[in-house]
Amino acid sequence: MAKEYPWRMPVAWWTRNRHYFLYIVREFTAAPLALWLLWLLYDISQKSLVHPRAFAIFSVVCLPFALYHSYTFLSLAGSIIHFKVFDRPVSARLIVASQFAAWIGASLVIGFFLTWLK
Amino acid sequence: MPDKTITIRAARFDPEHDKEPRLQSYEVPFYDESMVVLDALNHIKSHIDGSLSYRWSCRMGICGSCGMTVNGTPKLTCNAFLRDYWPRPIVVQPLNNFPVIRDLVIDMDDFMHKLKSIKPWIIRRQEMPLGAGEHRQTNEQIDDFRQFSECINCMLCYAACPVYGLNNEFLGPAATALARRYNLDSRDQGLKERLPVIADPEGIWECSFVGECSVVCPKGVDPAKAIQQTKLDTTMRFVLPYGNRD
Amino acid sequence: MHLLWWFLFAQGGVVAAILLPIHILLQGILGPLGVTSVVRPSDAAVFGNPIVKLYLLVLIAVPFFHFAHRLRYLLVDFGVKAAKSLPAQVVFYGGAVAVTLVTIWVLLTTFPISFG
Repeated sequence: MAKEYPWRMPVAWWTRNRHYFLYIVREFTAAPLALWLLWLLYDISQKSLVHPRAFAIFSVVCLPFALYHSYTFLSLAGSIIHFKVFDRPVSARLIVASQFAAWIGASLVIGFFLTWLK
Repeated sequence: MPDKTITIRAARFDPEHDKEPRLQSYEVPFYDESMVVLDALNHIKSHIDGSLSYRWSCRMGICGSCGMTVNGTPKLTCNAFLRDYWPRPIVVQPLNNFPVIRDLVIDMDDFMHKLKSIKPWIIRRQEMPLGAGEHRQTNEQIDDFRQFSECINCMLCYAACPVYGLNNEFLGPAATALARRYNLDSRDQGLKERLPVIADPEGIWECSFVGECSVVCPKGVDPAKAIQQTKLDTTMRFVLPYGNRD
Repeated sequence: MHLLWWFLFAQGGVVAAILLPIHILLQGILGPLGVTSVVRPSDAAVFGNPIVKLYLLVLIAVPFFHFAHRLRYLLVDFGVKAAKSLPAQVVFYGGAVAVTLVTIWVLLTTFPISFG
């Protein structure tokens, strides 16, 4: 029997298609956010904002990544979370809406604490 | 008025003579707006080059045989309309992520093996005696798994999944959706028997929710959702003491 | 095991998705630039409070299990098969555990616990 041609995954597979590229971006958001939290932890350990200007610039870069992470993660929650109320499945759109509502609600509450406690 | 044509660039691979696949161009008459890529391939085989090899059957999107990579995207060629590509050429290649046997024909043994591995049949702890009659099921109970039963085994999801492309040990979208179809079926009691394959590291846990499988699925099965829900259910089984078990 | 990593990944993702953006906006941008007055790491009253410390532990440590899982699989996506090995799991998830321990240590040692 003649030999088959084996499949080889192209190294740049994730550039071939918009969905693949955005998927990689989504996964990558973990890196800047991890660094941001480590920077915050460092400032807490030093009991002060050690480099306020640099931190602000870095944060401006990180914020879009954080927003993209939140948007993609909470949107996908509708696919994952599934339960029934009175024997009828709860719609995915409702679940996603509740996730975003929780995000906005939590942000308002924490925003209040962060600015009011000063 | 000159006859309209479209260029099909089809992958050719003769395992006895070729080291690797190459593209061969054909001019195909495009005389009807309802023509699909499969029509073009059939025209090539009937009138231009009888050596072109490819799989097809129903030509109406239900048998799952004619899946190929069309301009980089996994599609059923009976569902890919020439009018959506004309006047640009259409590149037709075998489905991604599978070994190529010849031309546009891929080796689907791994797929068949994966399907079988999740035991796609009703499993009962104890078969009901014939006299007890049939298993009754309400419409709501069927709705629980209906979506996942729509799979036509066309393998477009495996062609779209980069995780499978990188690692063909991965159980994959269709197999997991099929497993879920049976696990959710009220007549089935076989969850425990399917669990070792599903919860294997190469099972659902390899999936990183790229989601492309559900994008390309021609039947709206949403295998990505099936996998994520399986991850959640498997985790909850572990966490809740007696809540969700069977 | 994979079940545990996925579960922590999901929890960390929720924490990061819901809590992080507002912290980055206020504590990272508007506060340091002086646009609004925001709690600073020098605030003894705030950072001494044990409830605040607990919140910070969740905010900082839990997402790291999410980051560890995601970044490990990102390497797999780039073809680094070694990222699936046991040593790689130890490095990534062990790293998240290490961050958790360091966070606990920092929170306990910078400002003493007080309800003031």
